[in-house]
Amino acid sequence: MSAGHYYGLCQRYRGRAVEIRTHDGRCHRGIIRRVNNNRVFIQPLGRNRNLGGYGYGGFGYGGFGYGIALGAIATLALLPFFFW
Amino acid sequence: MNYTYLDCLAMFGVGGAHPGGLRLTKNILSSLDLDETKTVLDVGCGTGQTSAYIAENYRCKVISLDSNQIMLEKATKRFSERQLPIEVKHGRTENLPLDENFVDVVLSESVTAFTDIPLTIQEYKRVLKQGGVFIAVEMVLETPLPKEDVKSVIDFYGVHQLLTEQEWYDLLQNAGYKQIEIEKVKTEFDKNDVDNAADFSLSENIDGGLYEILAEHERLTKTFQDILGFRVFKGYIS
Repeated sequence: MSAGHYYGLCQRYRGRAVEIRTHDGRCHRGIIRRVNNNRVFIQPLGRNRNLGGYGYGGFGYGGFGYGIALGAIATLALLPFFFW
Repeated sequence: MNYTYLDCLAMFGVGGAHPGGLRLTKNILSSLDLDETKTVLDVGCGTGQTSAYIAENYRCKVISLDSNQIMLEKATKRFSERQLPIEVKHGRTENLPLDENFVDVVLSESVTAFTDIPLTIQEYKRVLKQGGVFIAVEMVLETPLPKEDVKSVIDFYGVHQLLTEQEWYDLLQNAGYKQIEIEKVKTEFDKNDVDNAADFSLSENIDGGLYEILAEHERLTKTFQDILGFRVFKGYIS
């Protein structure tokens, strides 16, 4: 799907926890902080497997998390998050 | 710094932090006879998701109370952005900053379990009007659990006790609630329904320690998924 499609979806999903798979096979779990025409910025929730292991993110990403190019997104889904 | 589970909810600004999420909330509210003459007290309002929904859909008076200042700031921001006339109060459920005989509904969404339950439900009763109702969505222990597991759950979540459905019933009865209804509800996650996904109002900088709390929460949720359940409780005072 197009970057435009994901722009709209990311706008609607702002503040939600999502799992984003990118075309390079990586999987990103995080909360959508903001989105611009090119990128979606997520606050990572860890278990990003791109470094070969499970690590909790959040260190050193600063206020807006990190950006993922909208054009790189293969799939995007809401994450079931359960809280008491 | 040692963070608690509730610090974690506050910094991540989790809205709808209770089993069943906003969908269950909507369901519960639709079973009530709410209109502009009614006053609802939303205890442990958190980021104010439920309070805002009530004010927007039922036009009744809403009072939102929380003991956590970060949560109250996030709730206040939500209400002012939507221009909702909601009264925000800082306080604890064990000692409500309200007059007696004041509200028609006390709504507690996974809040009372985190408090001194006998004291809290007495307080609810004090502020409820005749004919008023206390409604809660709260954690229950479904099956007996070894003492050390109970302790790890209690310590991690900072709840005072872990009660079975029957124990909740007994406490409500002892507190003088005249009619008590308990319902077991099934919930399912719909991955396309954005309105029912937890919404996060993140703080600017979230310390690494809070991610560890979140990870531990996820681990415990998995470990005890068949043992920790929840119920919808309704207690009428007359």
